[in-house]
Parts: sequence; C-alpha cells; structure tokens
Amino acid sequence: MSLLKIENLRIAFPARGGITEVVRGVNLEVHEGETVGLVGESGSGKSLSCRSIIRLLPSHAQMTANVHFDGRDVMALSRKAIRDHRAHNVGMIFQDPFSCFNPTKRIGEQVAETLRVNAGMDKSAARARAIELLASVEIDRPEQRYRAFPHELSGGMRQRVMIAIAISAGPRLLIADEPTTALDVTTQAQILKLIEQRRRDLNMAVLLVSHDFGVIAQACQRVAVMYGGYVVEAGPVDEICARPQHPYTRALLESIPSLESAGHHVRRAGIPGQPPTAGEIGPGCPFANRCAFARPECAGVDMSLEVVGDAHATACPFVRTVSATSEAGGA
Amino acid sequence: MSDLAARPLMKRRRIARLWRSFRRAQNWELSTGLVIIVIMVVAALLAPYIAPYHPNQINIVDSLQGPSWHHWMGTDFVGRDVFSRVLYGLRVDLLVVAVITYLGLIVGVTLGTISGYIGGWLDAVIGRVADTVIAFPFIVLVLAVVAIVGPGLKGVGIGIVIVGWALYFRLSRSEMLVMREQPFIMATKALGYSHLRAIFRHALPNLIRTSLVYSTVDVVVNMLVIAGLSYLGLGQQAPGADLGSIIASGQSYLLSAWWITTIPGVVLMLFGIGVSLIGDGITRGDLTLGSL
Amino acid sequence: MSETLLSVQGLTKRFRLRRSLGEFVTRRPGDSALAVDHVSFDLAKGEILGLAGGSGSGKTTLARMLIRLVEPDEGVITVDGRSVRDARGHELREIRRRMQMVFQDPYSSLNPRMTVGTAILEAGRVHHQPGSDDGDAFVSKFLDLVRLPASMAVRHPSELSGGQRQRVAVARALAIGPEVLIADEAVSALDVSIQTQLLNLFLDLRDELGLAILFVAHQLSVIAEVADRVAIMHLGVIVEIGATAEVFHHPQDEYTKSLLASHPQPVPLDASREIRICE
Repeated sequence: MSLLKIENLRIAFPARGGITEVVRGVNLEVHEGETVGLVGESGSGKSLSCRSIIRLLPSHAQMTANVHFDGRDVMALSRKAIRDHRAHNVGMIFQDPFSCFNPTKRIGEQVAETLRVNAGMDKSAARARAIELLASVEIDRPEQRYRAFPHELSGGMRQRVMIAIAISAGPRLLIADEPTTALDVTTQAQILKLIEQRRRDLNMAVLLVSHDFGVIAQACQRVAVMYGGYVVEAGPVDEICARPQHPYTRALLESIPSLESAGHHVRRAGIPGQPPTAGEIGPGCPFANRCAFARPECAGVDMSLEVVGDAHATACPFVRTVSATSEAGGA
Repeated sequence: MSDLAARPLMKRRRIARLWRSFRRAQNWELSTGLVIIVIMVVAALLAPYIAPYHPNQINIVDSLQGPSWHHWMGTDFVGRDVFSRVLYGLRVDLLVVAVITYLGLIVGVTLGTISGYIGGWLDAVIGRVADTVIAFPFIVLVLAVVAIVGPGLKGVGIGIVIVGWALYFRLSRSEMLVMREQPFIMATKALGYSHLRAIFRHALPNLIRTSLVYSTVDVVVNMLVIAGLSYLGLGQQAPGADLGSIIASGQSYLLSAWWITTIPGVVLMLFGIGVSLIGDGITRGDLTLGSL
Repeated sequence: MSETLLSVQGLTKRFRLRRSLGEFVTRRPGDSALAVDHVSFDLAKGEILGLAGGSGSGKTTLARMLIRLVEPDEGVITVDGRSVRDARGHELREIRRRMQMVFQDPYSSLNPRMTVGTAILEAGRVHHQPGSDDGDAFVSKFLDLVRLPASMAVRHPSELSGGQRQRVAVARALAIGPEVLIADEAVSALDVSIQTQLLNLFLDLRDELGLAILFVAHQLSVIAEVADRVAIMHLGVIVEIGATAEVFHHPQDEYTKSLLASHPQPVPLDASREIRICE
C-alpha cells in the first residue's frame, strides 16, 4: 500500500493571455519507509510538485490532481484537516535554512513553539522535548544552543534545527526540498546521513528533491527525473544510473562532473541550449529541441510513462539503452 | 547592430510597451494622470494664444460676473477674466514648480549618490547638513529665506530648493548604500572603471527611479507651498497672476462670488490628483512590465 | 612549463571574529581571526589552478584580494614581476586590465539597465582596447568568443538565462584583454547541463587565448573537470597543493582526505551499454 500517491498532477499559473502550465501531469508514488528522489533542473517543476503534497502553493496557482495520503484524498481536506495533515503527517525542510527562521527569535524557542502548537505541550514540557530533539539531530550542547539566534549558527546547524522541527511530530513522510544545496560538501554528507538515520529510527518515508544527481544516487532507492513539467523517467536509482532510458537522463548523467576526470579533461558533451521556461513548452516532448535523437514524431509524443523494466518507466517511446552483454532489449 | 543604433531601438521598445499598456487602459492611473497633466501643461503653454482676455485687463463694468459663455470662470472684483488669469497663473506655477522640484532632485541625488558611495567624513558632513535641514519645519525655513530675500517667487523658489534637496539626498544615499554591495557595482571596480563612472553610469540609473517617483509627491507639495505663500502675499506679487494669489483675491467674496476662489482651487486639486496618479502609474507599471 | 604570471607570497587578511556561542554565553570578548593566513602560490601562463574549500575557508577573500576588491593586510602579489599592492592610479588600472574576475551570481553581476552590447563595449573603450572604436565588430568578436549569437547585443540581462548571463560576464571580462581570469564560483549557481557548457568554454578560452585561470569552487568534481593543479584551502591556509590527479588520488593532508571522502560517490554508469533506436 503506498503512503503517498500523486496522479496526474497539473499546476498552472495565470499569465498574459491565459494560463501557463508549469507541472503537466506528474505521477509519483512513495511507499512507507522508502527514500524517493525527485531530480530535475530549474524550471522542471520539481519544487512545486512536492509542495502540492501539502497544498503549499501560492494562492494564484491553479492545481488539479489526485493526491492520496494514506488512502485519504488530500485535495478534499478541509482547512482544519489540511493544517492537521501538515502538522502531523508530513514534515518539510527547505533549501535555504536561514530564511526559514524568524531572525529575532531564539532557535530553541522556535522548535518549542512547534511542539506547543502542534502537540499541545505546555511550556516546560515543550522546552525539554525541544532540547531532546536538538540532541537527536546531533547538535552539541543543546541546552546552550537552545538560546542561540539563527544568525549565530552555521548553515549546517540551521539545517539540523530545521530537520528537528520537521520531525518533531513524528511524520510519516519527510519532504526535503534541496536540503543540501546551500551547504558545503562535508556538511552535505553529514546532513544526508542524519536524514537517513532519522528515517530509520522513525520509519519515515523521505522524498528528496535535488538538482544534484550525486546526492540522489547516494541517498535514494528510487528516483523520478523531471523535465519541463513532466516526469520523463522513473525507477530504481541504480538501474537508472546504469542504464538510463530517457535521452534527457542519459545526457544529464553524462554532464555530471566527476572526480575521476582529474588529470585528463574529458570535455563532456553537455546538453546544448538551456532548460525551457514554462511558457516556451509546446506539444510533444519538451526535450526534443535539445535531444541528440530527436525526430519529427517527437512533437506528437504524449509523455505518458511506459514500463521498460522492473518498476522502471520512461516517457520516450523511441530510444532504449541496453547492456551490450544482455539479450536484445528494445520496445 | 551597433550599440548606438541599439539604444534608440531599446528605447522605442520600452516606449512601445508603455504606450500599449496605456492604450489597453491596463494602467488607468498612468493614463488618467497623464491626460490631466498634459491638458494642463498644454493649456498653460498655449496661454498667450488661447486666453480670451489679457489677464490683467480691468473692466469694472463686468466685475463679479458668474461663469458664463463670455467668461468661462467668471470675473473677479475688478472685472478681470478668471479663466485667463488661471491660464497665466498655471503657466507661472507649473514652470516654477518643475524647475525647483527637479533642481532639488538633481542636487540631492548627486550629493546622495556620491556621499553614499564614498562614505567617510564627506558623508558624515553632508549628512549632518541634510539632517539639520530636514529637522526644521519646512514652511518655517522657507519663510525665513523669503524674509531674507524678499517676497516674490524668486524667494519662494530659493527657499524650497534649499530645503527640498535634503530628502532626495537621504533617499538616494540609502539606496546607494545597498547598491554598493551589489556584484555588478563591485564588478565595476574589478573592471577598473573610475569611481565617477561607477557612480554615474552604473549606480545612478538604477537608483533614480525611487527619487523620480518621490518627486511626483514632491511636485504636489511644492505646488501647494507656492500657492500657499502666494496666497499669503509672499509669493507672486500683484498684478501677476498665480493660482494662490487668485485664490487669495477672491477670499472676501467667498459667499457671493464663490467662483473666484473655488474654481482655481479645484484646478489646483486636479493638478495634485493628476500628478499622484502618474506616480502610482509609474510604480505599478514597473511591477508588471518587469525591468523597464 | 610556461613562465609564472601571477605570484602570491604570504598573503594575509584579518578580521574581527563574531563571537562564538560559547564566548557569547560566558561573555568573553571575541578576538580577530585570520580569514587568509599567509598564503603563497604561483599561477603560470595558460594554467588552470583550482582553489577548493568549504565555506569559511577563505578562498573567496583570497580571490578578491588578488584584484584588491578587498585590501590585503600583509603579503606580496606580483603580476609579471610588478607589485599589485603598491600600484596606484594608472598602474592599478593596468593591473586590473590584466586580471579580471567573473562572479558567482549571474543575476546580479550585470547592470540590469545596460544592454549586453553596451556593457561589453564600455569595457573595451574604458581600457582603450584595440578595435573598440568599431562598436559592432568589437562586440560581435567577444560574443563569438563566448559562443553567443551577435543578436544578443541588444538584449538586456533580464531577457537572458543564467548561463547566458555568465557568458556575457565572461565576454565583458575578456573585452578588457586580461591574461588572468579569476572565476569566483562562476558555475556554482548554474544547472548541471549549463555548468558543463561553461566549463568547456573555460577550457576553450585557455586553449585559444592562452589565459591563465584561477578557478575557485567548492565542488571538487567541478575542479577535477578543468583544473591542472589544485590548492585545497581550510581555515585560511592552503593545506595541500599539487597536480589535480595527484591530490585527488593520493591526498596527503587529513582535511583533503575528509573532503574527498564526503564527496558524493561518482554515479555508477554501465560502461558497456549501447543505444538502440526503435519505432
């Protein structure tokens, strides 16, 4: 039974002369306790997609979707129920740990506030539990750090506090929207490890959104690749990294810089052009204008996912990657 | 395309966008405001050609006549045509207010950007002078200057400029303090550009918008000060016409020949509304048209 | 190898440290810290030197000191034997002509009110570069160098994407005719597929123009793609410096080892795969 099931998510914004679709029919499923990655570059619609899970979209956004959390229809929830849902079922952490805090309040207070409001604790119980939470995210001297202001902490520590707040209610799902992008490499590794540990201890599912495939490959079991508002490929991480089926995924994986290049500059091919903005996308496959395998039929592709392997699906009907050693694959 | 040719092209595109927004009445504030002000300015400019009578032409026989076909705004207590006086008065007022407001803006913005960029003792000194000027009640300071220089529009003009620059100074200085930290300003240093170029070619064009929008408020305030001082007899001296002095002259006749005071007052009010609408329109236009 | 172009000895920058939480709580005064602590290195003509380190390592401060956006407290910087710190006025402008910088944020490093062509031409004209009197040709030449179409000259930065803006920033820097380009996290804010394009551009510029490049970045994989040598910075000190392959495959310093260990593992690609096109 899946914990989270998103079907046909569409998000559009009003624009000059009509509406512009930014997310165009995304399907996503997350099961209990698993870590799913959502990878894509700017304009792919990944951040908006994950915010739709808790209906945290700007007021002028128009969204249609079937979003079921634990069997319940999220779209149909009342105002009170959706607040409840956000408080207890789903935790979310964001990219910039600094702007998510009130700069004039001590961070311990901000953690305790969540506990008082969402778990109904009284002041002293909330404070004690807040200190426990700070310790659980590996902040040293939590009683002293409780009294710190956000600007006195490093980026990595602020992110830990944000994780503490997000998991304080023991959510079933943690959504991490680019949690490590603003951090340097050493801190990044620590935060990812922390998220993994908390996930195991609390039996949470994690939806990790990133533009960095390296992060996703390290932390996730399954991944969905987004481009131009669509999911273009989804499946197990190892399988996708080894044998990407969609031309965009292939090209993306091949552009990723690697430590192995040290000493011999391999001059990667990259992808010509740039990712499209929402208003530029026409019918058919949005990647066609940058794709090495493009053909006239690409303009008629309906971008539905076709299963090509074990839980592995792709939106490109034309290109397949097979292991040279395996038997003939193909459509 | 050479950049010299490119510049008029870019300007044309910007003007085209503004014009389109104007025509589609999306920016009604800008449209309405512009209509009002343009009519006033054109009327004032063409005063010598369209005023039906000489503004000082006395005709006791026709004095204190209400608005009629012969005298659109009636006549005052010595038979002068109010409409003609208003036209000539507008001419004087608009010219004076434009000159002194934008003189204040030029002085204030120049000092503010230099001071904000350089900082140090220069900034401290000019800043204190500006603070002193701002601390005084505006009218009192202007009155003091008028007392020294003598009554007449010259005194009023000098007084307003002496006080007015300080607010533009503060505004542009604080914008400059922020802009100084922007990478593209730091880049001018890295590119080896002179400070002068960095301030006037790069920083200032990006700062000026706030001051220009503020100037629309300032124009209205200054207009009222000029009219007010003329009303008090310290501005435009008789027999010259200006909105304030016309209003003053009709004071005693408020209940009988109400048109002498009221109609010029309405004109003054319309001016204020028009300018404010333009200011609103520019601000709103900025938000929808992106980086105009 | 080629001759040394840029030489740095004992470069140091201090600033007052913000009090740590411990000092705050016990009310002890903070002291000053060394953002950059007696750093020395050389950059040869046509070489790409990577400068890596986490936040707070001092790498950006170091880069900015080279062109005196930040004034050094101690140390010697020489370009072709001429001292940078002692240069004044005309000499300083000459130094700045020879070393140019590309900044991290493409969205604020270009003047929003200037067209691309105007910005590039201004750079050339201020420094009296040959050819700058013929506006069109000059601008086209540099747009071409960064692989942008000549029609881009009339656009404003707001009409361009992040990658395009960075290319314009590079073109503007090149219009001055520098011998050293300092890329201060120049690709960090870009999407991966665009990042690769910019990295290729830097390699091309080095090959075509013989530029020396100081490439500041926090991601070791990016440095691995372009740098011949790399210097690892930690807390204001260069802890290790050497050929990129050598440093990454046989790190000597503890910090370098931990940095490499925390780097996300390279994505496991199936080297034996092949493409099949189907109907």
